[in-house]
Amino acid sequence: MENVLSILFCLTLLYLVVTSRIKTYVTILRIQGVLLSVIMIFPFINHLSVHILIIPVMSFVIKSVVIPRFIDKIVIELDVKRIVEPSIQPFNFLLLTVASMSAIFVASHVLSGFTPIEPIPFASAFSAMITGIYLIIFRKKLIVHVVGFLILENGIFLFGTSVAAEMPTLVELGAMLDVFVVVFLMGIAINKISSTFAKQDVSVLGRLKD
Amino acid sequence: MTELIFLAGFPLAGVVANYLLRNRKFQFGISLFIACLHLATSYLIFSGLYQPTESEFIRYDALSKLFLLVLSHIYFWVVLVSYSYLNRSALVNEEKSKRLYFMMLNLYLFANTIALISNHLGLFWVASETTTLSVAPLIYYYRDEESLEAMWKYLFLVSVGIAFAFIGFLFLSLSASGTVLSGHQLLISSYAENALVLNPIWLKASFIFVFVGLSTKIGIAPMHPGDIDATSNAPSPAAALMSGSLRGTALLGLMRVYQIMVPTITADFARTIMIIGGMFSLFVAFVFMFKVVNYKRMLAYSSVEHLGLITLGIGTGGIAFVGAMLHMVYNSLTKVVLFLNAGNIHRTYRSREVTSVWDVLNTMPWTGWLFLFGFFAIVAMPPFGIFFSELMIFQGLMAKPVLLAAVLFFLFFIFVGMSKTVFQMLYTAPPKDHKKLATEKFEIVHVASFTLLALLIVLGLFLPAQLYDTVIQISKDFGITL
Repeated sequence: MENVLSILFCLTLLYLVVTSRIKTYVTILRIQGVLLSVIMIFPFINHLSVHILIIPVMSFVIKSVVIPRFIDKIVIELDVKRIVEPSIQPFNFLLLTVASMSAIFVASHVLSGFTPIEPIPFASAFSAMITGIYLIIFRKKLIVHVVGFLILENGIFLFGTSVAAEMPTLVELGAMLDVFVVVFLMGIAINKISSTFAKQDVSVLGRLKD
Repeated sequence: MTELIFLAGFPLAGVVANYLLRNRKFQFGISLFIACLHLATSYLIFSGLYQPTESEFIRYDALSKLFLLVLSHIYFWVVLVSYSYLNRSALVNEEKSKRLYFMMLNLYLFANTIALISNHLGLFWVASETTTLSVAPLIYYYRDEESLEAMWKYLFLVSVGIAFAFIGFLFLSLSASGTVLSGHQLLISSYAENALVLNPIWLKASFIFVFVGLSTKIGIAPMHPGDIDATSNAPSPAAALMSGSLRGTALLGLMRVYQIMVPTITADFARTIMIIGGMFSLFVAFVFMFKVVNYKRMLAYSSVEHLGLITLGIGTGGIAFVGAMLHMVYNSLTKVVLFLNAGNIHRTYRSREVTSVWDVLNTMPWTGWLFLFGFFAIVAMPPFGIFFSELMIFQGLMAKPVLLAAVLFFLFFIFVGMSKTVFQMLYTAPPKDHKKLATEKFEIVHVASFTLLALLIVLGLFLPAQLYDTVIQISKDFGITL
């Protein structure tokens, strides 16, 4: 079941790559938040307790409700053009992502031969990280960079929950809170940038150089 | 537990108090009181007069003690000069930033302390991300286009970088699967004890990710640009804080992972990467020094240079490691002097460009001379501390003559480039149609700079036994026998 959810997670990534509407990005963030929460709960499905539910519920609230709503708010407030301007042909971007994903899946299959990792969640997590980084590299809009950062963080969370040892509750909560505040500050910064520069993409950020 | 209240509880309470109280005098008083308590506590812990209680998540080893003392020292001086800094005539529209200033400083102290004493890598991660969040509003202090861009770049680059570091920490826990450590928490002490059972492939992968990720915060090339923009555009006290202690905190995270790798067969791999990173940072600083336009950027690049030297020293090992630890302390203290006085120059000349600054020695004698001596200290003139720590690093590098030659070559030209800029600022005759600048008064900033310079000389000439013993203890923890 965890594998099925991870594959679903990967499919959302592919959709993310081909779409160019910010609204869809936000929807994908919501879907990924739900998937992550379900993946977190799944191993404990037979012996649920309040203590176990804290992290998944918090993750759902922050990743699927608060952050997407905040991004929606920025998009409306700033009247960001809803269409994303890519700096790479959409088809090439898809090709690049699919190629990277295939490479990651093959690599994790090979790795699983001699280290105890679950190949599918591992590969899905890494695909999310690489897709997040591609979004940051190949899109110009700052708000999309924030989405890319969130996808990267989602990948890390998937990796953390499915592969590695669990962290103490307080640390996980702290990590989630940190991510939320980072996004919040980035939102404020984008707001300021748009009121200072009249545009919200990377082309305005060229004053500081050597 | 008492020490934790003084080290972390009070700063956290300070955040709340500074949020509630809007009177700047009160804010300053509270923050200074907390800074004094923090300094006293960390000195008591450092000197061994007080034995702190350790737990699973909190540990005070020699490395933490040293870094903690440096943090509270730097923080104390920064808070001390902050009030007079905030009272200066507003440059643009910084009035709003002033309200947040002390609150963010307290949050910074809280988060940074937790990062330094944490024994859990997850806790370290959360705390060091919080330090990034706390300095971001400080970078945006002047609320102009440059500082906005600097804040955005710093926030984004460092957040992505620190996400990479988190992947590295997860790899570290993956390296423990199937061993006695599997299912345990990511505790540095237990990982270091059982390092030999860890899977070397994952250990290497972990180090690469942590190194690349934390480089954004340490300022090791090629991940340094965010750091440079941030330190050169932040107000001087915040820049001093970042250069003096924040980079050190990130370095501590890297050293923790290295500490785990030391007894294993992957140690050489980590050392090689650190040497490459250090050399590349020196190279980047060397290239930059030929075309200095902005003197605060010059100081930021000087941080890249010195953190590069420290990383190089750690990677070289032996006596160079000891030198690197001392260098960390001396560099932090010197950077505070340089940034605070650069802030004074910026206030008078209203420009960060070297060509708009002239005749500082006559216009602002106090600042000018202190800046000059700060410059002597940073380029390793005797009797300042950095001279001795660099000698130790060079001594360690004797075994690798080619590297030593390259380092000396880079350092020589960095010295030439920096002195050209500094002397141009200090001695150029004023332009004919210049407007009259206000004469300078003796301020608290000068007291701070003077004390720190004196301290640097004392530390360099009579290396106190406590400091030396702590550094030797750190070296032992990293498996170095001298």
